[in-house]
Amino acid sequence: MTETSNLIAELAPGSGTEKRTKLSAVLLSVAWNAVVLGIALGAWQLLTVIIHSPFFPGPLAIVSSFLNLAVHGDTFGHSLWEHSWASIERVLVGFAFACVAGVPLGLLMGLNPRLYNYTRVVLEPFRFIPPIAWIPLAIIFFSGLTRFAFLIFIGAFFPVFTTTFVGVARVEPIHRKVAMVYGASKRWILLHVIVPTVLPDILGGMRVALGAAWLTIVAAELAGGISVGLGRMMTNYAELVQIPPIIVGMLLIGAIGFLMNEALLVAERYLFRWRWQVEL
Amino acid sequence: MNETIRDIAKPARPDEKRAEPKVSVDVSHQFGTYVVHDRLQFSVRENEFLCICGPSGCGKTTLLDMLAGILKPSRGSILIDRKPVDPKRDNISFVFQEPSTLPWLTVRDNIATGLRIKRAPAALIRQKVEDIIDLVGLRGFEKYYPHQISGGMKQRVAIARAFATDADLILMDEPFVSLDQPTRERMQREVLEIWEHRRRTIIFVTHNLEEAVFLGDRIIILSRKPARIAAEYEVSLARPRNPLASDFTALRAQCARVLHELQGASSATDANQ
Repeated sequence: MTETSNLIAELAPGSGTEKRTKLSAVLLSVAWNAVVLGIALGAWQLLTVIIHSPFFPGPLAIVSSFLNLAVHGDTFGHSLWEHSWASIERVLVGFAFACVAGVPLGLLMGLNPRLYNYTRVVLEPFRFIPPIAWIPLAIIFFSGLTRFAFLIFIGAFFPVFTTTFVGVARVEPIHRKVAMVYGASKRWILLHVIVPTVLPDILGGMRVALGAAWLTIVAAELAGGISVGLGRMMTNYAELVQIPPIIVGMLLIGAIGFLMNEALLVAERYLFRWRWQVEL
Repeated sequence: MNETIRDIAKPARPDEKRAEPKVSVDVSHQFGTYVVHDRLQFSVRENEFLCICGPSGCGKTTLLDMLAGILKPSRGSILIDRKPVDPKRDNISFVFQEPSTLPWLTVRDNIATGLRIKRAPAALIRQKVEDIIDLVGLRGFEKYYPHQISGGMKQRVAIARAFATDADLILMDEPFVSLDQPTRERMQREVLEIWEHRRRTIIFVTHNLEEAVFLGDRIIILSRKPARIAAEYEVSLARPRNPLASDFTALRAQCARVLHELQGASSATDANQ
């Protein structure tokens, strides 16, 4: 067994250096993103100097519009926070329902492919009806939060459901066999073999669903019928032909979506530290 | 016990003590009309190291699945301590031919998997894993994930997992076939060492006759399908065995002759495997 202990000495890295390289990699990534952001903003501001038109505001105009909205609220008496939170709340509620329905249903159908085969004539066409096409019906049948949650549910359900469903096929028979040999129950196999295997796909589906959710919410808010929401705020200013607040709304949507995506990425990095980095 | 006529070149030592066998097998199995086993009968003594060899496609994997209790034979039964095998009650371990570590678990958690399924108390799990980790030379790698260690180390994790539970029966399906020769030899010595430390009943399937003669208390050679016992040898060589000793090579040659005859007879129908 001396060979083995030599091997350990060779292979086990000093965990200190490993941590240091990881930290510097994060710092490098942050630095690069800051530089790229700076260049993009600079180029934009430069363009506004060249073009010089009230219909092409520069970043400084956007910042001042943002500060104005944040401090004084919009022309209709709603604060920026109200608009943002209204949209975020709608996205989160609809997205949560989509996950709660999509993951179990995806697992169920993945584990019983026959169930999917026998029902897909009803299930699959819904995937191709865009959530926006549901807006007219949603306006008639629902109001307030329910309407938006419903529309976002429609938009976010299929990414979660489909990726979960497809992910189940990735379960290795040998992993199931390992559990069976030790007398594992079906429940144990589900929780400790199937779910860990499918989880990366589920998280990936959730990130796609989040994008779909924001796509839907803004379209739904543009359709009107409510007084708050980022989409609403943008339409209001479109009617006033004021461009900077519209761009503030757009950028806020991008920023909030980015932060939510980052939160999911952090969860992924923690949950899937067992996965290897693919390189080409 | 129903003694079938066997082609016994060197007769197996009759069971002097005739103690209760740990495992008794009497199975017939077929997939549809394709007969894999037709009244295959043998028994295994407690703490015996039994090696099973046979031409490719003689249904060894099917046999192991039945022994593990995860495949029900068409007819007949497999008894462990005189009761039909049941993976929920019996402690059975399985070392598979292909990599079988769970990639989302660390080395430590992989080794503990069997104990966790058997709902062993946490303190016991910790202690058992600690005990086995030195034996398989994985000290220092407890927190590594399978993708961070070599194929040989992964197979050692699988072996540690199998020996960590107090298995009544350990099944090994060509566990070293994917390893290079030096690693393979080291693993053979390590398995023997672990087995000598904590006696278990082992059924070890291999294509490699040298491996069988090196490891086994007894060797069973199966015929091609429908598989029956073609030959059976008690290996009375003292351990550690020297693969270059004349009685070692003689037994190996004898096994090779039997296997060669079987393979020759089967070559015509080998294509459908």
